[in-house]
Amino acid sequence: MKFLEKINRNYLIPFSLVLIVVTFTGYFLLRSIIISQAKERLISKEYLVEEQIKKGGELPNLPPVLEVQKSDREPEVDSLIRNVTIRNEKEQEDELFLEYSVKRNIAGSWYIIKLRQSSFENEDLIIILAIAVFILLTSAFFILYLSARRMNRTVWSAFERNLREIENYSFRAGCDISLVNSDIEEFKRLNSVITDFINKLKTDYTTLKVFTENASHELQTPLSAALMHLEEILQKDINEDVFQRVVMVMNSLKRLTALNQNLLLLAKIENMQFEAGSDIILNEVFLRKIKEFTPVFDEKKLELDVQSEGNFVIRMNEYLSEILVSNLLSNAVRHNREEGMIRIVIRPDFLYICNTGQENSLTNETIFNRFVSGNPKTAGLGLEIVRKICEIHNLHISYSKNSLHCFTITKLKSGT
Amino acid sequence: MKVLIVEDEAELLTSIGNFLSGEKYICDLAENYSRADEKLSMYEYDIILLDITLPDGNGLELLKQIKEYQKKAGIIIISAKNSLDDKIQGLDLGADDYITKPFYLSELNARIKALLRRKHFDGTDILAFNEITVDTESKFVTVNGNEVILTKKEYDLLLFFMINKNRVLTKEAIAEHLWNDNADLSDTFNFIYTHMNNLRKKIKMAGGHDYIKTLYGMGYKFTDQ
Repeated sequence: MKFLEKINRNYLIPFSLVLIVVTFTGYFLLRSIIISQAKERLISKEYLVEEQIKKGGELPNLPPVLEVQKSDREPEVDSLIRNVTIRNEKEQEDELFLEYSVKRNIAGSWYIIKLRQSSFENEDLIIILAIAVFILLTSAFFILYLSARRMNRTVWSAFERNLREIENYSFRAGCDISLVNSDIEEFKRLNSVITDFINKLKTDYTTLKVFTENASHELQTPLSAALMHLEEILQKDINEDVFQRVVMVMNSLKRLTALNQNLLLLAKIENMQFEAGSDIILNEVFLRKIKEFTPVFDEKKLELDVQSEGNFVIRMNEYLSEILVSNLLSNAVRHNREEGMIRIVIRPDFLYICNTGQENSLTNETIFNRFVSGNPKTAGLGLEIVRKICEIHNLHISYSKNSLHCFTITKLKSGT
Repeated sequence: MKVLIVEDEAELLTSIGNFLSGEKYICDLAENYSRADEKLSMYEYDIILLDITLPDGNGLELLKQIKEYQKKAGIIIISAKNSLDDKIQGLDLGADDYITKPFYLSELNARIKALLRRKHFDGTDILAFNEITVDTESKFVTVNGNEVILTKKEYDLLLFFMINKNRVLTKEAIAEHLWNDNADLSDTFNFIYTHMNNLRKKIKMAGGHDYIKTLYGMGYKFTDQ
């Protein structure tokens, strides 16, 4: 829910309640005021009628509004105000009146004076006033709502722009973040907090990046030096035992080097240190890598079946795309048997690579894990790297086995 | 042949230097940018081994200078495996080859020889070892003057041996030379064994000696001693 929506919703509910309450209270209040005023008016008119009678002459009579009756003896009626219904002969309908009837003794004669006022007039007035109150309040609220919306556009525009800036910000670009300043105190504080936060993260990020790169370089150098020394020792006149040990140490160091390189690669992928690059057609990467792998396929007499049914295009760093494909191919070769086969099917939304191979106990859950390897010779980082690359590119990878071992890469809909 | 080695790690620098001196190259060593710059302004080199990461400057800058002032020199970049950008940039800037650390000295030797052949430095096209002759230009192999037909892998293997004659080569070094990064993918040692046997047979059939000595089942040496 957007901020303004939330605010408006919070406005709207109490306002509707207030509107109903105020309208109804207003209605009843007005009604009682108007009726009591009508009564007062009737009473004051009655004095005028009395004066008229005292002056003598013809009795005033104006039905249904005014009726005066002369009585010989004292009438039993008391003075009272009530509602009466009187038949209007002209319009053939009953009309409601407020009636004030009173007895008066004027110059020795008794009179019954009845004064009436149409209730419809009162009711109409009350309803009109209530509607007026309702319209007034509603329009006041509407104006408030519109002005809030306009204010939102101006007040929040800086906020929105900053939000977009932060969304699009990348440490890798190496540039500083520039936030639009606002004259609102809270936004100012938010900006300064975010700027500080990003600067700190940027420093940490750079430190980590430099560390990763340095660690790579620093480890490679002693490993290289050690290997060179051992290679030179092999050239000396040494006995079988020493020879074998030196070769074994060299092989261990080689594995250590590979492990170091793969761990650093993983760290770099996890730290998102690879620029997104451009749109890569994986079909082409596969073709290129297959060409590179051909000698190995030939040695193992592997049958290759490639079905390219439309381009699988993905925005990816070129180096990572090569790592992805070559790790998948390596895996398909390494765990294959002699004279086995590799099948690769590529479609626009998904691709899979299947190979013949030995039975293993690995499942979709465990196969991608770090250091889980079906083969004691390898460290089991290759598929972990594949999964990491897929993860950061919104791809889903899964493993299944029936007669073939298959890895399927599917494009995920963005946002899922 | 004059070689300049630019490498900031003293241990690597001397190791490579000693090895190449042993291979009859005249070696100049530079452990940083300024030393390398100084050497480059004074002497001409046939081969320059260049580490990109230097403490006092970027090796890529040095590369630009070399391309400008030492047009004849062949350049091999020594790079760390993870810095792909350096590799690509280096080749773009005109390096002839790259080798990633760690590498076998015998591999470095093969790369330098290959580069010298590509650059056609004084008659390096013909490689001879007693009765075996290899014309690297036409890939023509003769034993006692008789032509021997070799597969690509057998040819690569023979060339690698001849370049590194009298040197002990481990199976791993050979596998890496023949299959590069994919050496660890499959049973490469069996494949080496097959190729090696075929090579031996073909040379013997043409009347040549078997110069390939097996060392304790873990390495090989191409030698007539």
